[in-house]
Amino acid sequence: MRSRMIGQIMKIPRLARRLLADRGAMIGGILVLGLVALATIGPRAARHDPTACDIDRGLSAAGAPLPPSGDALLGTDELGRDVWARVIAGAGTSLEIATLATALALALGLAIGLCAGYAGGGIDRALMRLVDLVLAFPFLLVAMLLAALLHGADLAGTIAPIVITLGVIGWTTIARVVRGKAMVIARSEHVAAARALGASPARIVWRHVLPNVAGVAIVLGALGFAQNLLAESVLSYLGLGPPPPAASWGRMLFEGRTYYQTAPWIALAPGIAIVVAVVGFNLLGEGLRDALAPKDAR
Amino acid sequence: MRLALALCAACGVPDVAPPLPAAGHAAPVEGGTLRFSTKDQVRTLDPSVEYDEVSAYPVHAIFDTLVDYAPGSTRIAPRLAERWTISPDGTTYTFELRPGLVYSDGSALVAGDVAYSLSRARTLPSSPFGPFLANVAEITAPSARELVIRLARPDASFLDVMAMSFTAPQRADHVAAAGDQIRREPLGAGPFVLARWDEGRVLVLAKNPRYWDAARVHLDALELHENVPRDIQFLMFQRGELDTAERLSAPDYLRVIAQPAWRPYVLTRATMNVYGVRMNVRQKPFDDRRVRQALNYALDKAHVIKLLQGAAVPSHGILPPGVFGRDDALPPYPHDPARARALLAEAGYPHGFDVELVTTSDDEADRLGQSLQYDLAQVGVRVRITEMAFASYVTAIGSPTGPAFALGTWQGDYPDPTSFLDAQFHSRMITEQNSNNDCFYANPELDALLDAARGEGDPDKRAAMYHRAERILYDDAPWIWSYHQLMTEVVQPYVRGYAPHPIWTRDYSSAWLDRSAPRSGGDSPVDRGGAP
Repeated sequence: MRSRMIGQIMKIPRLARRLLADRGAMIGGILVLGLVALATIGPRAARHDPTACDIDRGLSAAGAPLPPSGDALLGTDELGRDVWARVIAGAGTSLEIATLATALALALGLAIGLCAGYAGGGIDRALMRLVDLVLAFPFLLVAMLLAALLHGADLAGTIAPIVITLGVIGWTTIARVVRGKAMVIARSEHVAAARALGASPARIVWRHVLPNVAGVAIVLGALGFAQNLLAESVLSYLGLGPPPPAASWGRMLFEGRTYYQTAPWIALAPGIAIVVAVVGFNLLGEGLRDALAPKDAR
Repeated sequence: MRLALALCAACGVPDVAPPLPAAGHAAPVEGGTLRFSTKDQVRTLDPSVEYDEVSAYPVHAIFDTLVDYAPGSTRIAPRLAERWTISPDGTTYTFELRPGLVYSDGSALVAGDVAYSLSRARTLPSSPFGPFLANVAEITAPSARELVIRLARPDASFLDVMAMSFTAPQRADHVAAAGDQIRREPLGAGPFVLARWDEGRVLVLAKNPRYWDAARVHLDALELHENVPRDIQFLMFQRGELDTAERLSAPDYLRVIAQPAWRPYVLTRATMNVYGVRMNVRQKPFDDRRVRQALNYALDKAHVIKLLQGAAVPSHGILPPGVFGRDDALPPYPHDPARARALLAEAGYPHGFDVELVTTSDDEADRLGQSLQYDLAQVGVRVRITEMAFASYVTAIGSPTGPAFALGTWQGDYPDPTSFLDAQFHSRMITEQNSNNDCFYANPELDALLDAARGEGDPDKRAAMYHRAERILYDDAPWIWSYHQLMTEVVQPYVRGYAPHPIWTRDYSSAWLDRSAPRSGGDSPVDRGGAP
C-alpha cells in the first residue's frame, strides 16, 4: 500500500529524465542553480562589504558614483558601495524572502485547499468565498496595506513583514487548484475503499489525497516562487521591503532610478538580476509542469 | 541631429551648450512670462496664515509690507513705508507710508490697514504669528499715512518681524466679504496680482498695473507649476518648458555642473537653514549629554558634504553663516570615532544601543540617513531608519513622547538669531503638541541669556551673548550638528535681473527675459520654442 501512496514522489528518476530533455527547463535549472550558488558562495568571494559606505574612495571628487572598474566590477552606487557586492547580497535576500513566502503560501494553500476539497459542502463554500474575497482585492493595495501594518508592529527591521505579506496573498491560487484535485480524489474508488476499511478523514487526507496533489503543488510553488521574487522587488521598490542598509534588488532599483542617465549601472545591475531570476524560475516551473503533465491528465 | 542628441543623452555625455541662449539686450526687455515649478503645492494665499516656503512664493509677490530686505541683502529697506523712526528707548516705532498708495483694485491703502492685519494675526486661531507680536503693547494709526507701534520691551529684531508677509496691509471689508475664500482671493499692494489658480496644478500671477514701484517690474506674468517632482522639473527645464529649476536631484546637479557652458547659469545661495539630527533630551539614552556629544563625534561631516556634491557647509550649531551673533571661530565637532566610543562607554553604553531614526521620504534624506547609519554603526550604535511623509513627520516630532531621534531641520524666518535660538531652544517654546522646541530642551541659563540678548541695544554686547549661547548648545549638543545647505538653482541663460535672495526664495519680481520676441503666457510648448 505504501508504494502506491507515495507513487508520485517515487517517480523522480522519470521526472528528471523528462526535465533534462526539455531545453527550457534545462536553461531555467542552470539559471536557478547559478543564482543559488551566487547567493550562498558569492558573499564569501566578494571583495567588498555590501553595506560599507566608502564615500572617500567609492565616489568621484564631485560626489558621483564610479563606473565599473577592476576594483568595483559593476561600479559603485550613490553611497560609494560596491554594486556587485550588493547584487550578490540582494540575491540572498531575495531568495530567502521568496523561499519563506512560497513555503508559507504552500502551507496555507494546501491546508485550506485540502480541507475544502475533501470536506465539500458548507465548509467548501465558506473557504472558497474566502478565496474570492482575497482575490477580489488588487494585489498591490493589499500588499502595501499589510506591509505597512506589519511595519508598524514590532516586526519592523526584519524580513518578516514582507514574507507574511507575500505568503498571505499568494495562497489563493494554490488553494483553488488543490481543492479541485482533492475533490476528484476524495470521490475516487481507492479513497472509498480506505474509508470502508475504517480510515479516519485525517489519515485519508494525509496518506491518499496529499500525495496525489503533491505534483501540482510543486509546480504551483515553482511558479509562485518566480512571482514572489518579482513581488518582493516591487514592494522593496516602494519602500516596504527589508529596511536599509540591507541590499535588496527592488530597493537598489529604487535608489538608482534617478541616476539612470549619469550612472546607469546602479539600476541596470539589479534590473538584469531580477529578469534573470524570474525567467529562471519560470522556465523551471513550466518544465516541471510539462514533466508532470502526462500523469496529471489535465 | 535630433537622433544624435538623443543618443548622447543615452550614453551619459552631457549636451554641450544651453539650447536657448540670451539675445543680449543691455536694457531690460518688458513683457513675457517666467515659468517655474515646485515639488510641493501652495496651501494658501492668506498672508495671516501662510507659513511655508512654497506659499511664500506667490504671497510675497502679491503683498508688499511696510519694510522689506534690500535686493540681495539682509538689510532692511523702505517699501510701503517711506521712512520710520525709533524712539531713543527703543520701544516706539513710527512708520510713515508713501503718498498715494493703492491696492491692486485701485482702492486707497491707509495706515489703519496695517493695524488691522496685525490684530488679525493676533486673533485669528489659524494664524501662527500671534507669538511674534507678544511684545507689542499698542498699535495706533494717527493718520492715513502714519502708524505707531509701541513695544513693551525693546526688541532688536522687531523690524525683521515687520518685514514678514503677515504684516502686509489688508482691507478689513475685503477680508470680511471674502470669508472662507480669502485663501484664494488675495488683495494686496504688491507687484503682482492673482490671475488664475488651478489648485495643485498651476498658479498664474499677472503684473499689477497700479503697483507703486512699477519701474522695477518687467514681466507680464509669473507661472508657478505645482506638484512637479525634482527629476520631472529638470526634464521640463531641459526642454525649455521652465525658465528656472531649483533643488536639483544629485544626478541632475552633477550633470549640469559637468558642463562648463552651463556653469554661469547655476546660481548658488546660502539660505538660513540648518540640518542635522534632533534628539529628544527627555528620552533615554539622549537625556545623557555624553551620548549626544558622542554621536556628534561619530558623524563624518566631510562625507555628508561630499554626498551633497559640496553644496553645503559643516555646522557647529544652529546659526547659519551670515546670521548676526554666529561665532565663526567655533569649529564644528571633529570626526573622532574613538572619542565617541569612549564617551558612550563613560555614559554606560560600552556596546552602543539600538535606536530608530525618523526621517522624511526623500532621496536626499534617504542617502544621508544611510550614511549616518553607517557612521554610527562604526561606534556601536545600531540605527533603524523609518521614513515618514513630511506632514506626519512634523506632527510626530512636535510631541514630547514622539520619536526621540529624528531628522532635524530649521529654516529661519528672518536673519536674526532670535529666529533660530529662541524658536528652537527657549523653554518657553515647549508645548505638548506641535512643539517648536522639538528637542524639549530646557536650560534656565540659556533662557536668561536669550531674554537678555533680545533686548540688548549694543550690537557688540549682543553678539557676545549669542556667542555664549552657541557655546552652551555646542556643549549640550541637543542636535547632531551637521550642515547648512546651499540652495542651487539653474536658470535659462535668457533669465536676467535675477539673483537668489538670502531671505526670499524664488523672488522673480524684478527679473526679465532677454529674448528677441518676448513670449506671452501661452500653454503650448510650440510657442515656447523661441529663436533657436
